[in-house]
Amino acid sequence: MSTPRVRRLPLRGADLVLVAMQALWKREGVSNNTLMVVQCDGPLDPERIRRALDRFLDVCPWPSARLRRRRPWGQLHWAAGARAALAIPPVRHQRLGSPEALHAELEAELNHAIDPRREAPLRLAILDGASEAAGPQSVLVVTWFHPLMDPRGGQNLLAHLAHVDETDGRAPWGGAPPVFVTEPDPRPLKVRGRLGRSSQRYMRTLVPEAPVSPGTGLTAPGRVRFEQASFVGDDHSLGGVRSTREIVWRLALVGRTMADLWRRRGLPDLPFLVPVSVDLRPKGEPGATFGNVLAFHFARFRPSETADVDRLARALRGQMTDALRDGQLDANAVAMEFLKYRPLSLMLRDLPGTAARETFSFNCADLADFPPALEKLFGRRVVNAYHAPSVLPRPGIGVFFNRCGIKNNLVVSWVEGATTLEEGRRIIEAVREGMGWRTAR
Amino acid sequence: MSTGNLSRLDPEEVARAVTEFINTTIMARTRPVRPDDDLELAGLDSMALLKVLLFIEAHYGFWMPDEDLVTDNIRTARAFAAYICRRSA
Repeated sequence: MSTPRVRRLPLRGADLVLVAMQALWKREGVSNNTLMVVQCDGPLDPERIRRALDRFLDVCPWPSARLRRRRPWGQLHWAAGARAALAIPPVRHQRLGSPEALHAELEAELNHAIDPRREAPLRLAILDGASEAAGPQSVLVVTWFHPLMDPRGGQNLLAHLAHVDETDGRAPWGGAPPVFVTEPDPRPLKVRGRLGRSSQRYMRTLVPEAPVSPGTGLTAPGRVRFEQASFVGDDHSLGGVRSTREIVWRLALVGRTMADLWRRRGLPDLPFLVPVSVDLRPKGEPGATFGNVLAFHFARFRPSETADVDRLARALRGQMTDALRDGQLDANAVAMEFLKYRPLSLMLRDLPGTAARETFSFNCADLADFPPALEKLFGRRVVNAYHAPSVLPRPGIGVFFNRCGIKNNLVVSWVEGATTLEEGRRIIEAVREGMGWRTAR
Repeated sequence: MSTGNLSRLDPEEVARAVTEFINTTIMARTRPVRPDDDLELAGLDSMALLKVLLFIEAHYGFWMPDEDLVTDNIRTARAFAAYICRRSA
């Protein structure tokens, strides 16, 4: 196959925000990895996965690209050489003796920071045999440099690899591959400039002063840790349809657990500032794989306002409605596109606390549902799947929801020094109780 | 659309307008919904729901309060239309 000598894919929007946030901690060398963990009902064949990756590179080079910036003021981009020069990202295979060993391996994956300037921005691992009770199982771990793609993108990549695997020997997608990246905003520069400036003005008014977080004051951050638990239980309505399914309700509940943490730590009753990511992909189809196709809404509330979750959820829904009505979500997406013209050190200057590396109070996201189309993967049935993103030393903690089949997964990630395993477990239990979930078997 | 003469709203026409809004601003071009399709199954999340509520506010002149956001009123574009017509009668 004939391909150009170098192909380039610019980092855009939320990709740049993620790069800039990690750059705040450049000297500490913190990880910007994110993990997708897929538990399968039998052993996976690493060779089959390598073959699928190899064939995927025939149509899309980005899993093997390198991060480049030709000049300090140049555009950050993914660069990939001609097809013949592309190496398959690593697929590691390891047998483990216990669930504890598996968890340690997953945390090692999270902390072993990918340096996309020198290595592929993603790697895979197959970890076998961690559960004695459930028979021979494999866990497929996809680890990537977060600015490469968002959780839905990670799932899309897996779906593409599964499709390539199923069509082994035939042309995948009938010879017409899907689009892997989003098109640039077609609106004129003048229009986008006006929106971008409106977003800047809005962001400067979000909170009166820099937020605090569990990571405030932390100068020597430890490792990223995470705790995951699976639950079952229906979403239910509390004064509105699907209340507990709504991100605002979940954020309000997590806010209440954080307020408890604030009280225990004696942190001040300053307004929480929490970014809420909004997937910009059109609904009904998978959409783009590469790039974080996200805009951000910024929720604000005080720890002292969290006692009544329903009431707080209504207030947060009101904030989100106002932001949508005022066009601030669109403006945020547009403003982030302009970050490509800024050096890394200035990308986040519109946030109130970045000079002191204070960005947000905590992270909270409802990550993509694992798609039913991925029930089977490389010949195995998927038993469960969840995402575990790393968090930066500030805020130092994040709570992440996702769903796979009937299982509601909850992941708390934190940085050692910012908080503890005990706090992580306490948060999981408080959220479980608030959601009315039962532990999944 | 004018917000006058709301009492004369035609449920079919409103269902068509809501469906068209959803298809042009929320759904992928290749995955349009029909008036009776389940919107949650079609992939509409809480943010998409808010967009529909803002569309109703802009075109029919009222905001759907939280207590009315029950499945019977929002499961499909036609359910939205029935609610809008009831509110406007």
